[in-house]
Amino acid sequence: MRLRGIRSFGPTLWGIALFLVVLAGTAPWIPVFLLTVLIQLLIFSTLAYSLNLITGLTGYVSFGHVVFMAFGAYALAFAVGTFHLHPVAGVALGALVGLALALGIGGVTLRFRGVYFAIATLVVAVAASYIVLEIKELGDGQGIILNIGFEPLSWFYTIWVILAIEVILTYWITHGRIGYGVRSIKSDEDAAKALGVNAARVKLFLYALSGLFAGGAGGVYAWTASGVFPQAFDLTFSLQMLAMIVIGGMGTLLGPLIGAVAVYIPSYIFLTVLIGFQFIIIGIVVTLIALFVPEGIVGSLRKYIPELRGILE
Amino acid sequence: MADVALFMADLALGLLLGCVFAVIAHGLNLIWGVAKVVNVAHGEFIMLGAYGAYFLNLWFGFNPLLSVPVDAAIGLAVGVGFYFGFLHRELRGKESMGLQSEMVTLVATFGLALFLINAVQALWTGNNVGIPWSPGVVLVGSIQLPLGGLYVAIMSVAIIGLSHVFLTKTYLGNAIRAYSQDIPATQLVGINPTFTAAVGTALGFCITMAGGALLTVWLPTGIFPAMGNLYAPISFVIVVLGGPGKMWGSLVGGLTLGVIINVGQLFVGSIALATAIGFLTLIPVLLLRPEGLLR
Amino acid sequence: MTRVLDVADVHKYFGGVRAVQGVSLKVQEGQVVGLIGPNGSGKTTLLNLIAGVEKPTKGAISWDGQRIDRWPAHRIVGQGIAKTHQIPKPFLTMTCRENVAVAMMFGNHAQRESSKALEEAAHMLALVGLGRKADVMSSKLTVQERKRLEFARVLGTGARIVLLDEIFAGLSPEELRDAMNLFERVQKEIGFGALVVEHVMRAVLTLSEHVIVIEEGMKIAEGSPRAVVEDPAVIEAYLGTEAVHAAP
Repeated sequence: MRLRGIRSFGPTLWGIALFLVVLAGTAPWIPVFLLTVLIQLLIFSTLAYSLNLITGLTGYVSFGHVVFMAFGAYALAFAVGTFHLHPVAGVALGALVGLALALGIGGVTLRFRGVYFAIATLVVAVAASYIVLEIKELGDGQGIILNIGFEPLSWFYTIWVILAIEVILTYWITHGRIGYGVRSIKSDEDAAKALGVNAARVKLFLYALSGLFAGGAGGVYAWTASGVFPQAFDLTFSLQMLAMIVIGGMGTLLGPLIGAVAVYIPSYIFLTVLIGFQFIIIGIVVTLIALFVPEGIVGSLRKYIPELRGILE
Repeated sequence: MADVALFMADLALGLLLGCVFAVIAHGLNLIWGVAKVVNVAHGEFIMLGAYGAYFLNLWFGFNPLLSVPVDAAIGLAVGVGFYFGFLHRELRGKESMGLQSEMVTLVATFGLALFLINAVQALWTGNNVGIPWSPGVVLVGSIQLPLGGLYVAIMSVAIIGLSHVFLTKTYLGNAIRAYSQDIPATQLVGINPTFTAAVGTALGFCITMAGGALLTVWLPTGIFPAMGNLYAPISFVIVVLGGPGKMWGSLVGGLTLGVIINVGQLFVGSIALATAIGFLTLIPVLLLRPEGLLR
Repeated sequence: MTRVLDVADVHKYFGGVRAVQGVSLKVQEGQVVGLIGPNGSGKTTLLNLIAGVEKPTKGAISWDGQRIDRWPAHRIVGQGIAKTHQIPKPFLTMTCRENVAVAMMFGNHAQRESSKALEEAAHMLALVGLGRKADVMSSKLTVQERKRLEFARVLGTGARIVLLDEIFAGLSPEELRDAMNLFERVQKEIGFGALVVEHVMRAVLTLSEHVIVIEEGMKIAEGSPRAVVEDPAVIEAYLGTEAVHAAP
């Protein structure tokens, strides 16, 4: 398969592809309990990759990313609950809602730099949550409960497709011409513009994509949870997404996946031990990594083991 | 005519509330101006200040006003710790943090926020608590003003005023202001940048935690670990409205937001919506007047 | 048919400060025009106006007959006008080759294939004498090398009018000689037009066909290098009234 502008696929992409294909192939035989864990892991991975598209690649820290996931979840709940659409259509709607929202928010906030962008996304996310929770048709602040079946395989394949597309897209973006534009923006946005890079369009493109995928993930999340509650807007999700890409390695291809595993699996284990305790650990880990190892796991491996640079990305 | 009375009452309450908002924003303003960094965990320090006041009340019977100096002292210590823990390695006399450093600090303080919220939850449970202190009401014209709210509003203005005096009339205060404008110049005139930045940061945290204590008067049942998620955006919006680094801006921004929220609920029906609208004013201000509403 | 950059009666006010007051000038493709004047006279602002970094308060800027003064910077680059920075701004996380490749992919050139851009970037680097540093991180370059990289980058965009902001500053006499030779050679080979802002008189007066002098945002003289140097108004601007009457 040849995509425009790319010569061949790197080893990391093959590795991830292999992992995904094996998962997809064996899914029908995986015990249900383990499957549900995997599904949540894939959802978190999708969210991590979506934040990676904007924050990892451009350095624009989006604190309010949870808003796309939450809107996606509410979109699915609304579509299925009120219009009785099939959940997959609900997921698609969630993705579209995420896309539209990202275009709207990004169109305005991406004009701001650094800190101001981060704060603006945070404030807009909080404001959006307050507004949504006031709307009667959307559960009037109490959430929406859905009467849909337990279909782990459908959930699995839906999120699998979304994640697969996302990973391929991330690869294409980082390797093509646009990847150089993105790197130049991250390095020095003004210098990039002075060389003809349409920074505004590149940023909005990435932000819109990230909203699309986060919205889709949110939709699947609501599907697996059979409903959506105001907790969907909890900023802890944004924190978790950020934790995943910081720990994994911002802007890398493998980073979000590793980060998702690093954050989600211990969370799941701890869930039965001490609720909330995992976040204390995550908080400490994120802080330490941001201060001392900002490249994350993948970035550090590439930095300290030169042999890996051609293979790991 | 009942509407006008309601409007005036809400306006008055909005102004009183706005004074306290101003204090919690003022702390952020100082840290932002001095360290040129935004502490994402700002809301969590407000929360700690509130919890501080709660425990001082629980163990020693302190009312919130009395807790303020204690919280302020704790805040000073915390501020110094924060400076050397997070900021010193990135700043170290440089003009401003590079993009990378800025991102690092944003993410690191984000991690700190996550840690604090959950540590508090683990230690003291997530249940809402509050301080039972109601000194009654006072009648001003036909409006009933809560005395608690009035007292903390007065204290808030006093704190901001004191901070203003310190920053403009004392040597150290002026050093801090100079530092926030031009670090190399500060060094050239013999001011120790590390000491100045540390003190400035400490002062910021001091005021933030004091603000948390003052805020408890308005939260009879509203102290809980994640409360910072509301008050951090409030602080950010206020600082932007008033103008980052402008010392009286905190008061202007605080009063503005307090009024928008409290009076706004009359027009849009719910306080949540009014708050959302108040928050969204951030966008037009950043777009059209990024230096803030204050000249 | 040579294209012309036409700056017509352009003003730029920053609040009360009148950085540029009614300046007009023309630069043709292939022509080297020098822009000199005392510090703070508005030269860099003028370059920023042409490049689209700032928008003029009044006046019009046209390129090949088309108004460009309201365009965003990247669009102007796409049409063939690009500017260097007074203090070089390389992409520190990329190699020299990648730096120039970005210019080739997004500038007037618009090379769509990244691999081709990377190849051509090496040629451009060789042209400015940085051939051996193609795969070195730009963060490792000396200041002089960064200036050359800056030059290579702006050429890499494929610009037909190049705006150079003090590109000869801070060079030793030998380095200056080499830089001037390089510029002449490259300019003849590629054939771009250039508006060269400079303080280094030797460079400007040798390399320019036409010189414009600016003081306090206004044009005070214009003409051949020799004519401008002997113009009393120019001497006064630089050296003060006394110097006009001083013995030559």
